[in-house]
This record gives sequence, structure tokens and C-alpha cells, in this order.
Amino acid sequence: MHQRLDYLIRRLAFSVVTLVAVLTFNFFLFRIIPGDPVQMMVSPMMTKETRDKIRQVYGLDKPLWLNVEEFQEDGEFEKLFDSQFAYYIRNLLKGELGMSFRQRIPVSEILSNRVGPSLLLILSGEVLGILFGTFLGLIAAWKKKSMIDASTMFVSLTVWALPPFWLGIIMLILSRGHLPMGGLVTPGTIYASNWEKILDIGRHVILPATTLALMLVGAYVLIVRNTTLEVLAEDYTLTAKAKGLTPLQVLRYHALRNASLPLVTIIAMDLGYALGGSIQIETIFSYPGLGRLMFESIGQRDYPVLQAVFLILAVVVISANFFADLSYTILDPRIKS
Amino acid sequence: MAIIHKDPPLQRDEPDEATGPRKLGFVRTFSKNRMGVVGLVMLLVIIFVAIFTKQISPYDPYEIIDVTRDDVLAPPSPEHLLGQDGAGKDVLSSVIHGARISLTVGICAALIIVIVGGVLGMLAGYFGGPVDTIIMRVVDVILVIPQLPLMLVIIAVAGRGIVNIILVIGLLSWSYMARIVRAQVLTIKERTFILRVRSLGVGHLKIMVKHILPQVAPMIFAEATLDISFAIISESTLSFLGLGDPTLISWGMMLNQAFLRGAITLGAWWYLIPPGLALAWVTLGSTFLANAFQEIVNPRLKTHHLFDERKIVRPLELLDKRMSRMVQPSTTKVEQVDIPPKTLLCVRDLTVEYQTEAGNFRAVENLTFNLEKGKSMGLVGESGCGKTTAMLAVLRLLPEVGRIIDGSVRFRDTDILRVSVGDIQNYRWNNMSMIFQGAMNALNPTRTVGSQIKEAMQIHDWGSKLNIQEEVGRLLDLVGISPDRASQYPHEYSGGMRQRAMIAMAIACRPDIVIADEPTTALDVMIQAQILDLLQDLQRELNLSIIMVTHDLGMVAELCDDVVVMYGGWLVEHASVDVIFNNPRHPYTQRLLGAFPDIENPGDELASIPGAPPSLANLPKGCRYHPRCHKAVDRCAIETPNLYEISPGHVLRCLRVESDEI
Repeated sequence: MHQRLDYLIRRLAFSVVTLVAVLTFNFFLFRIIPGDPVQMMVSPMMTKETRDKIRQVYGLDKPLWLNVEEFQEDGEFEKLFDSQFAYYIRNLLKGELGMSFRQRIPVSEILSNRVGPSLLLILSGEVLGILFGTFLGLIAAWKKKSMIDASTMFVSLTVWALPPFWLGIIMLILSRGHLPMGGLVTPGTIYASNWEKILDIGRHVILPATTLALMLVGAYVLIVRNTTLEVLAEDYTLTAKAKGLTPLQVLRYHALRNASLPLVTIIAMDLGYALGGSIQIETIFSYPGLGRLMFESIGQRDYPVLQAVFLILAVVVISANFFADLSYTILDPRIKS
Repeated sequence: MAIIHKDPPLQRDEPDEATGPRKLGFVRTFSKNRMGVVGLVMLLVIIFVAIFTKQISPYDPYEIIDVTRDDVLAPPSPEHLLGQDGAGKDVLSSVIHGARISLTVGICAALIIVIVGGVLGMLAGYFGGPVDTIIMRVVDVILVIPQLPLMLVIIAVAGRGIVNIILVIGLLSWSYMARIVRAQVLTIKERTFILRVRSLGVGHLKIMVKHILPQVAPMIFAEATLDISFAIISESTLSFLGLGDPTLISWGMMLNQAFLRGAITLGAWWYLIPPGLALAWVTLGSTFLANAFQEIVNPRLKTHHLFDERKIVRPLELLDKRMSRMVQPSTTKVEQVDIPPKTLLCVRDLTVEYQTEAGNFRAVENLTFNLEKGKSMGLVGESGCGKTTAMLAVLRLLPEVGRIIDGSVRFRDTDILRVSVGDIQNYRWNNMSMIFQGAMNALNPTRTVGSQIKEAMQIHDWGSKLNIQEEVGRLLDLVGISPDRASQYPHEYSGGMRQRAMIAMAIACRPDIVIADEPTTALDVMIQAQILDLLQDLQRELNLSIIMVTHDLGMVAELCDDVVVMYGGWLVEHASVDVIFNNPRHPYTQRLLGAFPDIENPGDELASIPGAPPSLANLPKGCRYHPRCHKAVDRCAIETPNLYEISPGHVLRCLRVESDEI
């Protein structure tokens, strides 16, 4: 138990360090370009009042890291931290993420509208991917070297080889006329009943979610199959067989549990990949999530939005990795260090 | 049974090797891997297209041409086999030219990955300590941050350009390579030949470059192949999202243009499909290739326990000419005696063969014995004589390469070798259970001991007859384990406790027979005695029949009523324990007893049997024991002895005993 706590504390420390690295990087990146670094924060299209306000909130006339001059002048220790970086951290903690160039409203407002759809997409996609990946992986391992195994592997590898955005394009082409071409809701459904609203959203999410699932299933099938192959060759599988378990029972009560441990790690590790995929998928399907927001802000050079979305995605992945470590210690009784 | 590999696999870790593993047979092994060959061909095609672009491409997509409205998004035609794109240009030419861009990005980025990742991985693995820690922390941080968003953000700020793209992809993707190289270096570092070179005082750099690097190279190559395709996909994704180099035509850029110009809604599939297919082609090819390398470097397991059982071979199939490695078939069967009513297990002519790539090997031949209710039997013989194989065969638990060729195993009245798979699953554990040799991993380490014992009872529907939870506690108590330890995991038990837990599980369903295969090997003497006592108690209290597979005659003397002595797959003597110990007739049994210390004459010299047990690939002609037999004569090398009953309950297989010569 003591050792488990030790491990967790180390993982927490690591997550914090990574978070700090991401924050620093984010700050750094948008201020190192030659020319007026203020360009990234202040658009010439804004009114003078807005520009002044931003300069004030972000301390854009202050030094970058540490304010040594004012400290030397005043002697107050606090003044040392009267710098852009300090403003940056303070603002982040307040949830202040800047003003969008394009929309001229706070970035945080824009983000909050988009988080919900992205969450829905990622969750559905992951759940589908995990279900199919686990099921196919177990069966492929059991029926090793058979047609089922070979075809599962071939299809999984092939789909995995396709670039996610192209996969989305193919799905769109195939589903023309049957499913909505994009978006989250059909215009006019605000007048429909709750049940109809849900169904409508479902019809819009199903294609992007399936694309996301297809993107992930290759990796999941592979890891489940490999782990299961090892498990099925272990002594305790022979014991289970000797106890009179049928192959399905062996898979359900022994292989599944052992295979799900590495799967949890892979899910967390691939979450970054899934998020990257969701950027592409949301773009193709015009799905109003964070991913599409990122695509739009690239095209529009809306740097505050770009920064903010990147930050959110990074934080999500770092946290997810930490929670994966956490759950691993709970699931695997052998973890000691 | 040893399975012989025809080509020695590379990179297997053998700590006692004097030199590094040989690279012989690499090309041969590779060419056998069909996937790898296909992958290589696929990549070669792309390389060919990239090199001979000008020659193959019908038009030059960089050329500025006059277009009319009809040319925009025109479908395929004889002049334009893949139609025209949103600017009226020939799609096929663009796809062909795209190969160059993709390959350039892929190879350059992969180079960066190999160099940065390889060097850092090598340094981390070789030097260890703080160097390792720092490098690995950096790797961890990079791996956690989501890659595509990071790339997007950097390129958006740094500017679109092919050099930027290559640099960004390369410098963000080396982490995985570093990890892999480091892992390999860690293993190789400890090999004997490296240690020897180090002790000679060779410099670090030289060791790393000249000795370790060649060993790691195949793995680096495999990973680099994957990295090339990964870089290509990354570039195409960046281009698709609008951050590609606008001056170059890449597959990603094509798809970006297609998407932006509404090719999807207009159904211009000729513009959308080919670039994606090209990308898929490259990725698949390199995945196949990399997979093939992986298989060679780390050969995967060939088989596992859940396979479809093949039917028992009937005697007629023995005449199949393909089985040319067979020894002369034994034809004798013991006279069909009326089976006494108290017989629990009746094994007749059990014959088991291992059918491997290296040939067929008879591990057990014509094994015959009876077991009565409440009586226990010892199955003794040297390692490799077929005892474990025979017992696995009884419960139909042989590995995939094992095949029961002939014989019958009657449990009460039913031949369980010939019942359906579903039926044998009912017999297993309920009527006959088994404790396997070396119980290190016989219990699932991720489940509690209690849950696994529970499982045994649940599978056979004991839940309706008793409270399973209580019964688990009772069983553990019976074998001397505190019942609250049921919620613990196998790794929390000591070796002796694990074995006792296995015994508890084995009797959970109140079977008639428990087969104990070397239950006390690898345990210390005190624990051995404990286990022995336990088994004796269980015998008495539960009227259990135990089949004890062992080479420890002392244990047999304590526990068993009958003894079956096996040699080279044959039953050579079968009698009551009294007869075996006091009046053994078979020369092998006599020697076996002589090899055991006698407590009454502790000073006696221990006899040993010269020679080694026969290799199943090369069985002796005539009697299998004759090369080592102290009573052998010439005809023992020619005639095959049959099983015959020398007196009631005493079966023997020896030519000379049969003809009363000894």
C-alpha cells in the first residue's frame, strides 16, 4: 500500500511537471516570433479601447519573465513578478483566456460552447472502439491462424493505415443521402420534442463517432490480441481448462481481465492521437466541437483561440494519463513500484 | 518435448553466449514471411514512382495551363485517366508527383528520428543513472503532449514550409524510437560478450558503435520503416488542415483543395479517392514490412491452450506411409479381463504422439492399468519417460502438438477419450482433477485465490448444493491455510502455500481421482513432508484416489497401493507397492530402487544407471531399455517385449523375465 502511494505521488509529480512545461511552452511559443510579439494577442482590427484593455490585462508592456528593473527601483519583492509570465499564469487561473480576434468575444465563451459536442464525440467514439477492439481482439487470439484471425487482422491494420481525415471522407461519400452530411443538429429541431432532439443528435454523431472508433480499433485489436495470446499460453489457462471451463468462459473470466490492463494504458496513451483525429473528423463533418474550432482558428489566424484549444487538449491528455496510472494500480494487484 | 527451430531466431536473449547471435538466415527467414515481402514490394513501387516521376507522369502539374470551366472537377476521361481537379489540372499527374514530396518528407523526418532517437536512446540505455533519467523524463513529457495539436500550433506560428514541416515532425516524433532503442540496449548491455569487451578496457564510444549498434540495428530499421509512413501521414494531415507548403503538391494538399472546393458534395470521387489510396498504400506497405521485421526479431508464440481438439486417431491410420519416423508398432494388448466392479479408471493401450515440424514422436505407447476406488497409484520413471504426457492425455489436456493415437480411458463405464468436448468438460475437475507440476503460474495472478477456487465450484454448479463462500473457507482450512487469506492474490502466498491452495482447489468438487504431478518439486524438504501428510489425510478422510506422478520412490512408498513404472514411453512394470519394493522383477525397477537410499542400510553405495533415457527421435530397436540394461542379451536388441501378467496383479514387459531366464 505504501509503495502504491509512492508510485502515485511520483506520477502526480510527473503530471504537474508536464503541465508546467506545457504552460510555459504555450506562453513562450506565441511570444518568440520576430517582430511585435503583441501581434499574437492584439489584432489591428480591434478598437483602441479593446487593445488598451488587453495590454492592461496581459501586461503586454511589461518584461517577459521577471521584472528585474522595477524590483531594483522599488525594492519590493512582489515587483519582481510583475511580468508577462506572471500575468499569464494569473489570468489562466482566473479562466481568462484572451479575446478572440475574429469574434471579439472572450475565448472562454467560445470554448464553453464547443466542449460539449467534442466530449460527446470522443466518448462515443472511444466506447465503440473499445467494445469492438476488445471483442475482435479476444476472438482473433482464440482463433489464432484461422480465417477469422487473418481477416480481422487484415481489416484492422488496413483501416488503421488510412489517414483519419480520409476515412471520414470515405464515410461521408458512402453515407450520402442516408445520414446527415454534417453539423450537430438539424435546423428546426428546437421545436421538436426532447426525444426527437436526442435522436437527431444521435444521427449526427453516429458517423463521426464511427470514424473515430475505426481510427482507434486497429490499435485496440492489436493490443488485446497480443495480450490475450500470451494469456492463453500461460499455465493458469491450462488450469482453467482442466477445471472444465469452456473456451468462452476462459476468455471471459481470465483473458478479458488480464488483457484489459494494457488496454487501459493504451487508451490513455492514444488519447492524444484520438484528439488529433477528432480535429480532422470534426473538420470533415463540420461538427461544432473544439477540433473544428482549432481548424477554423488556423485558417483565420485567430491565435488566442488556437492557444487556448491547445492548452485544453494538453491538460485533458495529461490528466487522462494520470488517471490511467491511478486505475492501473487499482486493477493490477501486482503493482508494487 | 523440445521443438527444434530450423533457423535460429535473432536477438533472443541468451545470457551465456560467448559471442553475439549470428545473422545467418536473415534473408531466408524474411523471404518466408509473405507479409514482409508484400510490404517491401509495395514500398518499392512508391520509390519507383518517386524516382521516375517525370517519365511516368502524363502532365506536369506545376505548369500553368489554360483551363476552361469544363475542366474544373471534370470526371475521368481518356486524356485524364483520373479526371481533373478543382483547378483543372490532371489528377493522376498530381498523385504521381505527390509521391516525391511524401517520400522526401518521410525519409528526411525518419532520418532525424533515427539519429536523435537512436543516439539519445543509446546514451540513456548505456550510461543509465542521471543521463537516463533526464532523457527519459523528456521523452515522457513529449509523449504525453498531444502530437497533432502541438504540431499545428508550432507550424501556425513558425510558418508553412517544407523544411519547417520536416523539422517539426522529426523533432517531435523521436521519443518512441528512443524508448525502443534504450530497452534493447539495456538487454544487450548485460550480455557476456559485452561484459568481456568492457573488461578489456575498450572505450565507451567504441563499444556503443562497434558492438552494441549492430545488435540494435534491425530493431531500429523496423521502427524507422514505421516512422517513414508515420511522417508521411503527419505531413498529409498538416497539409489537409491547411498548414502544408503551398508551393508543393502533396497528397494532403490535394485533399485539402478537394475538401475546400466541395468535391464531396459534388461527388468528385476521382479527386478524393486516389490521394488517400496512395497514402494508405504507403502506410500498409511499411506496416507489413515492419511487422515482418518484428516477427523475425521477436518471434511470437506459435500456439496456446485454447485450440480445437482433433479427433483420436484410429489404429488403421497407423499404416499411413507419411508417418515414416514411427518405430515398429506394438501389437500386443493385455488380455481383455473382466473389469472388476470397483474399478474407477481403466486405461487400455493408451498411445500418445507429438506431431511437430521436426517429426512425430511417440511419447507414450500401450499404457495399460486399472485404478480402484479409494486406492492410490504411483506413476514413476525418469524425466521424459512420458508420465506427465500420459496423465495430460487422460484428461485430454495435451498441447496442440500432442495427439492421442490409440487406446481407451474408461472412467467407470464411459470411455472419456471418445465423449464430446462438452462432456469431458463435465468430467474435468468434477470426477478427476489435476495438480500440475511447478505451480508457480498455475493460478491467475490477477485474481484472488478464493475467487479461483470458487470458480471451480461454480462451473460445476455446486452453488445449488452448498454455500460456495463458506466451502472455500472450509477447503482452505482443510489444507492448513487461514480462510481469510481467500481474498489474497497468489503472489501473496509462499510456494508451499500456493501448492496447498492448488490442492484445496483440486478437491473442491469432491472428485474421485486427483492426479498429482510432481507436487513437491521445487519445494523444500520440510514443506514436502507437510504436503505429503496433507495428501495422506485427504486420502483417508475423503476416500480419495491419488495418482502420484513422481520420481521420488519414498513418497510412493508412503502414499500408494500400486506402482506403475514407465520407461521411454512404455509401461515396464506394474504391481502392488509391496511387490515393487520387495520383489521387483524388471531390471529397470531393480536399478531404480538401488538408486534410492535405504534407511535401513544408510551406508550402502547408491547405484546409478549408466547412460541416459532414450531420445524419442531415435528409439532403440527391440526393447527400449536394452542399451542400459544390466541383464540384456543379444535378442533384447531384436525382439520387442510384450506386456504380460507374471502373476495376478503383476504386469511386466521383459523378454527374459517372460521366458523365466531371470
